[in-house]
Amino acid sequence: MKIECKNLSKIYKNESEIRYPDFVFESGKSYLLLGTSGCGKSTLLNMIAGVLSPSAGQILIDEENAVEWQQKKKDLFRIQNIGYIYQDFKLIDEMTVLDNIDILRLEHVDTAKAPKLLEKLGIEEQKNKRVKHLSGGQKQRVAIVRALVKNPAIVLADEPTGNLNFEIGAAVIEDLVKSAKSDDTVLIVVTHEQKFAPYFDEVIHIGGESRA
Amino acid sequence: MLKFAVKNLLIKKLNVVLIIVSIMLSAGTALLAYNTAEQVSDGITSTATYFSAIIGPDGSSTQLVMNTMYFTDEPLGTFPADVMYTLQADSRVATVKDENGKVKKDGDGVDMKYVVPFAMADSYNGYNVVGTSTLFFEGKTLKDGEWFDDESCMQAVVGYEVARANDLAVGQVIYTGHAAGEVHAEGITVVGILNQTHSAYDNIVFTQVETLWDLHEHGEEEEAGEGEGEHAHAHEGSLCAILVKTTNPATAMSLVNSYNDKTVSDTDGDTFVLQACEPMSVVRNVLNDANSTKYIVYVLCGIILVMNILVICIITLLNMNYSAKEIRLMRLIGVSMKKITLLYVIENGIIGLFSTVLAFLTSKLCAGLVSEYVQDMGVVLNRFKVYPLEFAIMAGILVITVLPTLICTKVIGEKDAV
Repeated sequence: MKIECKNLSKIYKNESEIRYPDFVFESGKSYLLLGTSGCGKSTLLNMIAGVLSPSAGQILIDEENAVEWQQKKKDLFRIQNIGYIYQDFKLIDEMTVLDNIDILRLEHVDTAKAPKLLEKLGIEEQKNKRVKHLSGGQKQRVAIVRALVKNPAIVLADEPTGNLNFEIGAAVIEDLVKSAKSDDTVLIVVTHEQKFAPYFDEVIHIGGESRA
Repeated sequence: MLKFAVKNLLIKKLNVVLIIVSIMLSAGTALLAYNTAEQVSDGITSTATYFSAIIGPDGSSTQLVMNTMYFTDEPLGTFPADVMYTLQADSRVATVKDENGKVKKDGDGVDMKYVVPFAMADSYNGYNVVGTSTLFFEGKTLKDGEWFDDESCMQAVVGYEVARANDLAVGQVIYTGHAAGEVHAEGITVVGILNQTHSAYDNIVFTQVETLWDLHEHGEEEEAGEGEGEHAHAHEGSLCAILVKTTNPATAMSLVNSYNDKTVSDTDGDTFVLQACEPMSVVRNVLNDANSTKYIVYVLCGIILVMNILVICIITLLNMNYSAKEIRLMRLIGVSMKKITLLYVIENGIIGLFSTVLAFLTSKLCAGLVSEYVQDMGVVLNRFKVYPLEFAIMAGILVITVLPTLICTKVIGEKDAV
């Protein structure tokens, strides 16, 4: 799979605008997006995921302009192809860990791999606990499992190690990068921590042309 | 999907229970208000259609009808029972036929006619005692025992509620008395218990009219209420009213005309002025007079219904607002709006269904309580009676628990997920 971002820009409600340089992301490779907070890193991931529409420009996924897709098609593509690890986890607090993963079954996603992934990330014992009773690090790992359980072609991760200590964070990053290579997926990770840069195939600095 | 919806409901069970209770109370009130208004109206009119004419002492025709058909109010007074014999010879009065269409004969071989004596005197534990004949029971059935013998005396058929409340069984002897507390020494044997009729019949002790005469002849003679404000009881050879079924509506009118203002006298030479009326016309007039009250009741029912619809809509919207975060999260994960909408329609549908069924059951339960109050109007509410419009109201409630869900998910679906 190949993702090309061309002439992308996003105008916010306060009328400030972020213009992005052109990017190309390819399968089997891992990308680290670095940048200061507010530079538009998360916005770029949201636009690639199809949960936010760009104000201008194109996002070509295998040469098809995803910006022009109907929301229904964007949702379908996201559930089938994108594993998104959100910075704030996007978990339903009242539900158990397994139920948060099983939501995907509403769209017929196979979640059979979940116990194995939970075990791998050391949170198998928490699988029947409500998310609201988990620590920040545990929530982050649940979000990672939910993103990876469907074997996505694209993995988007927004500060995936923000709530983990360095050792666990490094292990998670290492795993994500290895999986991207072995499963031939596109891995795009957003962080402001440069220490993880050596793990990635490509490091992209987003300073962004931004203007108010 | 259903499994997930149920699971999701169980997660927020306190919230769901409170919503169900709120909708149940709102919808139950609306159903109860409508059902009660309809049953009271139906109950009053249906009772009045059976007999074509009522003959009684001069005075208020409304009081005569209400006393004779609904056993409410005091009798207007009494008049000589001899009037019955004149009516039995009247060709305008319908004959009583058996199942094969043959005219029934009395003990003397004379054609039986629909001339039914009515006398009200005494009470039994607060339940009125009515003296009449078995023709008064046409259309009614017995739960237990048999009808009293018209040729006999000191037998009673009791209403369902009288038997239930006093734990009466066939063969038991009951002692009736005056409201003042005096009880007759001679008892009446219960020979039959009426099936529940959900009408004023349930609350009456019926006996042969001769029983009342016998009970009052031995030194207990009543002062028949000839003056205003006095109680009017049947005493020997007197009646409070006669109910008549005529051959057709035209003869009913003719009979009423001929008996209205007619003067009769008893063996002592006392004169009595009679009145006659068609019960259906009287009831219709009463209802017409009370039309504005009826409209007020219906308007109130309408207001209750609209208010409750608004309350249910608000409750559902609040519930959806509570769920908005969940919906946005599901969208971000990639669950389609179609699936999310279906999920919440199922969830709110389950809430709506539970609430509606509980509202229906609550309204029926409360109908029993309301019934206690409207019994005085001669109407016993049937808690199992359901009007077609009630189903429409329930369907409407179900729709309004689901409709805001569709609106909310559509609004959320049209916005960006983040």
